[in-house]
Amino acid sequence: MTLPTGPAALRAEHLSKHFGRTRAVDDLCLEVPPGEVFGFLGPNGAGKSTTIRTVLGLLRPTSGRVEVFGDPAGDVERAHRHLAYVPADVALWPGLTGRECLDLLAGVGPGTDPAYRDELVERFALDVGRRARTYSTGNRQKVALVAAFATRAPLLVLDEPTSGLDPLMEREFRRCLAEAAARGQTVFLSSHALAEVEAVCTRVGILRAGRLVEVAGLAELRRLRRSEVTVSLVRPAPELERLEALPGVADVRWATPLEVTLALTGPPGPVLRALGAADVARLDVREPSLEEIFLDYYGRDAA
Amino acid sequence: MTTRTPPRVAGTGRPPAPAHPGTAVRRAVVRQVRRGTVVVAVLCGGLTAFVAQEYEQTLSGAVGVGSLTALAENPAIRTLFGPPLALDDPGGFTVWRTGTVVAVLAGVWAALAGTRVTRGEEEAGRADLLLAGRVRPVTLVRTALAVLLGAGAGVGLAVTAGVWAAGTAWAGAVLFGVLVGGTAVAGGALGVLTGQLLTERRAASGLAVAVLLTGLLARMVGDGVPALAWLQWLSPFGLLGRVAPYAHDRWAPLLALGVLAAVPAVLAVVLAGTRDVGTGRWQGRDRARPPSRLLRSLPGLAVHRTRRPAATWSLGVAAYFLLIGLLATAMLDFLRDNPVFAQMAAAVGFARLASVEGYAASLFGLLAVPVGAFAAARVAALAADEAASRLTLLYSRPVGRVRWAGWEAAVAAAGAALVAAAAGVATWTGASWVGAGLGLGGALGGALSVLPVALLCLGAALLALGWAPSVVLPVGVLPGAGGFLLLVLADSFGWPAWVRGLSPFAHLAAVPAEPWDVAGAAGMVVVALALAAAGLVGYVRRDLRG
Repeated sequence: MTLPTGPAALRAEHLSKHFGRTRAVDDLCLEVPPGEVFGFLGPNGAGKSTTIRTVLGLLRPTSGRVEVFGDPAGDVERAHRHLAYVPADVALWPGLTGRECLDLLAGVGPGTDPAYRDELVERFALDVGRRARTYSTGNRQKVALVAAFATRAPLLVLDEPTSGLDPLMEREFRRCLAEAAARGQTVFLSSHALAEVEAVCTRVGILRAGRLVEVAGLAELRRLRRSEVTVSLVRPAPELERLEALPGVADVRWATPLEVTLALTGPPGPVLRALGAADVARLDVREPSLEEIFLDYYGRDAA
Repeated sequence: MTTRTPPRVAGTGRPPAPAHPGTAVRRAVVRQVRRGTVVVAVLCGGLTAFVAQEYEQTLSGAVGVGSLTALAENPAIRTLFGPPLALDDPGGFTVWRTGTVVAVLAGVWAALAGTRVTRGEEEAGRADLLLAGRVRPVTLVRTALAVLLGAGAGVGLAVTAGVWAAGTAWAGAVLFGVLVGGTAVAGGALGVLTGQLLTERRAASGLAVAVLLTGLLARMVGDGVPALAWLQWLSPFGLLGRVAPYAHDRWAPLLALGVLAAVPAVLAVVLAGTRDVGTGRWQGRDRARPPSRLLRSLPGLAVHRTRRPAATWSLGVAAYFLLIGLLATAMLDFLRDNPVFAQMAAAVGFARLASVEGYAASLFGLLAVPVGAFAAARVAALAADEAASRLTLLYSRPVGRVRWAGWEAAVAAAGAALVAAAAGVATWTGASWVGAGLGLGGALGGALSVLPVALLCLGAALLALGWAPSVVLPVGVLPGAGGFLLLVLADSFGWPAWVRGLSPFAHLAAVPAEPWDVAGAAGMVVVALALAAAGLVGYVRRDLRG
């Protein structure tokens, strides 16, 4: 495998966007290499949509710059040849049918594969003969999803694209996303569905109050976080009282004299050595879910 | 100490519901219309007071009794300007000169406000939030009607206070105020009714305004053709002549005005209780004919969006100008018999009325107002699409803002030319019918000669789109409607030339009576292009709303 040498799919340099005195996005630096599926997380009002709308050139940055495959985001005629976008809240012209909306978006888009589009219409079970005003939130979202995936644009910018979809359609969406990733398309996914992000993303960025507080691969993120270790013993082992003193160990709780749980950060060596002396019946190590990692970041704010 | 009821524990008891949920709704609706009410009231009251005041100083005693009778008997004068009654009185002159304009302004504003606070709120989904509370749809409609009644009363009061303060008789002042206020109430009720009938706000507004302006056309026909005089009872504009403030001061026709306001209001309340929230009573087809081939490119989309409004505006303008064509000979005969009026008309901006070309040219001047409004409305539709997030997907494609706004503006300009041409052809048709001898080329040339003013409206609207996107329509109609009003006032009251020169209409030649004013037209086009360019610069630089 060769490392990508071309420009980044998406690059933000010291991007700031202020609305009056509100700093919606503050000095954000981010680089998403081609082919990556990047998850963009953050609590409500953290500035995710503002960042995305700035990437799309819909908002003008207060300072800093954004590039899409090397083209400045403000030059939309060039930058948007590389991307397709699905907003969280899709608004369509009420008088046009779904088919007309798709035709229109294809007509002004970066090039659309009509056969793949028809296939997507089938897969998402979208009735394109109806006028947009009769569509539910989910159906409007399907129109935007079909239009976006059908372009095969090298960068997909998805802002909570499944907020209106049922679980069946969400599964279809993940399949499309996997196919896109397999084709080498870059995906920039903003979502609150953490299971979804966990399933498809290789790297995530966490935004809080307009600032990027973490950018890391999922595996790396887990490594940095605490795993929960549960140990069941055959017979009581008083020497394990010392567990608390070991490096990286916290929250030691004895449920019974034969069962202990603890939180472990960092390498497990010392704990394993300590356990070696005891008669261990069962050892359970559970990695933290993205939700737990995420709540950990949220919690820091409250703490 | 003993208590009969246990003390309330914080967090467990339910707080009591407010006694009158309708109060909160009423406050919300009032907030939405209060600014517009004040603006319209000040405009209507100010304009009428101003004209009454100026009359005292400039025109008092200039019109003899014999001339008045001749004026009142002429069907063409009655048709175009309304029945001229009591012109020797400042109040009567004010009613004749401003009554229709002020009533149209108040009625159209109220109709738009009526659809905005009902259908607009529902379309945007905001009504759902209110209706999830202890509020029924009927309550929303009743509240809107009540608030618009109050707004109409405010506008009427402003008119009464204005003309009364200018020193006219109190009975006429009250009647005039009631008529203008009543027109606003009837227009508002009509807007609320069309909001119940149609699912889209734009369509509902269009229908309400179309019905109002059809009422104006019915008034014109009723005034011009004695056999059809009963048509005057069908619209608030016709009732203005029936009531005849300052001339006859009849009170009884106000009952008909009450009926005109009550019927749509009652219908709206009845419909509100029997329809689904979110859709109108009249639902279009959910499935379209084969998909439109236009919708594959930006210019195609622009044409698709503009063709129906262009057709509707053309139809409305053509109906009005067909009537003008049909009246050509009656008007010419009148002016030949009463040269005093030819001079007077020249003094208020209708010069050269004595030839059919001059007559047509004078009335084509009016055409710039609706054609300019059409162009401004198209840019306002673009701004509305942006506010409703409908442009987000479009602009996420390789579509520059200048390119899309440019296509919209170009197609709007072409549509404006179409609307103007429809007026020209209609005038020619009417004039040919009565054998007035107006050529098709002359009629078309005269109608198209107003296009520079329409382009100014388009340019002003684009300027607002770039720098003040929430006021695209008011700014866009300013060069047309505002410019026309400025010219009429400047001519009527002999204002200095530089003030008159601010109006675009001062730079329009009276085509076909005169050759085109090439320099004036070119100057206006240059200004229009500069406004458009400045607007597009702002549009590219600013953040997208929605």
